[in-house]
Amino acid sequence: MTPAEAIEAARRAGNETFILNLGPQHPATHGVLRIKLTMDGEYILRAEPVAGYIHRMHEKMGENRTWAQYLPNTSRIDYLSAMTYTHAYVAAVERAAGIEVPRRAEFIRVITSELNRISSHLVWFGAFLLDLGGFTPLLYAFDDREKILDMLEAITGSRLTYCYYRFGGVYNDVDDAFLGAARDFVPYMRERLKMYETLVTENLILRKRLEGIGPISKKMCHKYGATGPVMRGSGIAYDVRRMEPYSVYPELEFDIPHYPEGDCMARYRVRMEEMAQSLRIIEQAVAMIPAGPFQTPGVPKSLKPPAGDYCFAVEAARGRLMVRIVSDGKEMPYRVRWRTPSFCNITLFEEASRGMMLADALALLGSLDLVIPDIDR
Amino acid sequence: MDPEVQCSQIVKFARLEDLLALGRANSLWPLTFGLACCAIEMMAAGASRFDLARFGAEVFRPSPRQADVMIVAGTITKKMAPAVKTLYDQMPEPKWVIAMGNCAISGGPFVYPGQYSVVEGVDKLFPVDVYIPGCPPRPEALIEGILALEKKLTGKRRWPEVKPPAASESV
Amino acid sequence: MDINKPNASQGVVSPSLLAEHPLAHLVIPFEKVDYARRGVHFEARVEPAQVVLAAALMEQEGFALDAVTGVDWPQDNQMEIVYDFFHPMMGWRTAVRTRVRRDLPEVPSIEHIYPGANWHEREAWEFFGIHFSGHPQLTPLLLPDDADYHPLRKDFAVA
Repeated sequence: MTPAEAIEAARRAGNETFILNLGPQHPATHGVLRIKLTMDGEYILRAEPVAGYIHRMHEKMGENRTWAQYLPNTSRIDYLSAMTYTHAYVAAVERAAGIEVPRRAEFIRVITSELNRISSHLVWFGAFLLDLGGFTPLLYAFDDREKILDMLEAITGSRLTYCYYRFGGVYNDVDDAFLGAARDFVPYMRERLKMYETLVTENLILRKRLEGIGPISKKMCHKYGATGPVMRGSGIAYDVRRMEPYSVYPELEFDIPHYPEGDCMARYRVRMEEMAQSLRIIEQAVAMIPAGPFQTPGVPKSLKPPAGDYCFAVEAARGRLMVRIVSDGKEMPYRVRWRTPSFCNITLFEEASRGMMLADALALLGSLDLVIPDIDR
Repeated sequence: MDPEVQCSQIVKFARLEDLLALGRANSLWPLTFGLACCAIEMMAAGASRFDLARFGAEVFRPSPRQADVMIVAGTITKKMAPAVKTLYDQMPEPKWVIAMGNCAISGGPFVYPGQYSVVEGVDKLFPVDVYIPGCPPRPEALIEGILALEKKLTGKRRWPEVKPPAASESV
Repeated sequence: MDINKPNASQGVVSPSLLAEHPLAHLVIPFEKVDYARRGVHFEARVEPAQVVLAAALMEQEGFALDAVTGVDWPQDNQMEIVYDFFHPMMGWRTAVRTRVRRDLPEVPSIEHIYPGANWHEREAWEFFGIHFSGHPQLTPLLLPDDADYHPLRKDFAVA
């Protein structure tokens, strides 16, 4: 039933419908998202997301900053997965300007991106369980995340919005302390994941709240362009690291976890398994990282990539991130377009939430793992 | 002509005021108002390593009617500004505002000539008590901000300030 | 409920696969592009009226919509709209480009083919003023509800 038909059916049955505002200030919307819900009692008839409450003009700022001055902006679009966003932008510009990246820098990029992916999934894990009513996993997840942040802070100087990659490499080399810490982190996190599996994933209440809830079909993913764990939780094993390989991912062995059920539990499991796969990648990369330069010399401070348009896609923590840059040969970009995963993922919320109860819709919203500045840019 | 009487409270106590201030300072209940990146550092401050609970401030209330302090963590956009103002108005007295992060102080990294979407600082909407600079500020900085607010309320600082070692020593 | 290894057909796009042109049979000509340099495998330039046909062909070949990007070219007195598509099974990337008049930018909507285009087109309208005919709801998405300006136009200035 379309929303209009559902509302009409409710009215004919003598039920009064009302409009409920979810957000923009709400503990479970993970940021400033507003959803106008037309409700029939506890059931949602129509959900209309209203975005723009954190629109920070990232695309316009691209035109007002030089190519290098724009780097800090890239971290703030999706601050949880900041490394991958900087990676996409930097790699697009490297593509345009024909800048090579040394192998050591590529390995550093992979290690830091995967650590960032794990820390992003840990925040998702804590916040998702918080939405469902479980406060404790948040504290454990944030504690594990602090260990990752300590490592990344030692080499980048930041805890959250890193500005670590530069055109042609990274800005600071990694030392043996960092590689040793990353190496030791892998078995530690594997134990913790086992603990999360027994305490959280197998928890009866969690399973009742997630299994069968919020089914998203393959067709729906395809129609709306949903990617990342949303697509993989519906059975499509699409990962940009495999389909449009970049950096040194082709040399690393990792699986693409995907589950066919399409419900919240499938998406939950995909993200938990992705953390395990990221640990595999980190383990291999730390063992394989070569000695060498960490930045290509000779990249001009005032970069002027040749005119034309170029794009680059990466697998961010939330899904497919594609950045399209248009250069007119000047020192500032002509146009920067960010195709962000949350923007496309949220478009299916309207169709997926029809007829759901409000509490289940919040489980669905949490399982989509949205970061609102990612939608609004 | 009588001067206009302006007082924040109709009834004032003496020693009891100090006790009330101590109580309020040690149990500040923040409003969950994380807007953007600073919200994650606010959550980290409430989590295990930095533990806002030691200062009495871990009870984040989603409803403004139950909150004392609004920690504005993130950028305020022009679309969001009316909602922020409504939330501030809905908070009962006494209430305080902490502007966390550069965006809440002055618009942050999103201010450029010709910008169309960001409100340049939350003090353009309502008065702020404590400013915490950083992009994002570390959780320790947020705790320092809460301690500064406590000092504003009670007149005394909970821990003594830690002074960094003198410059001549560190060379 | 185990992790399944991705099957062989979902692997890396091998160069031999691209040696024959998998989109050669389409009525709209897609040119091969240097992927390593530009980030897309195939590109087509169409008239605004052919945009719906191009989207239908992409949908039929199994592509999903990646993005709809508007670009303002005041020096040419035109606006460009670039539709990016990605193939979830084969990993191909295509771009369909069209140009419209800058003073009357209008292009048919592809929302009925790709429901995900609804928000992309709404954003392009909101930031450039490009009218997508047939779109059910061209109202502000990211800007305030009463916004009557188009910020990403090159001649945009705050009042």
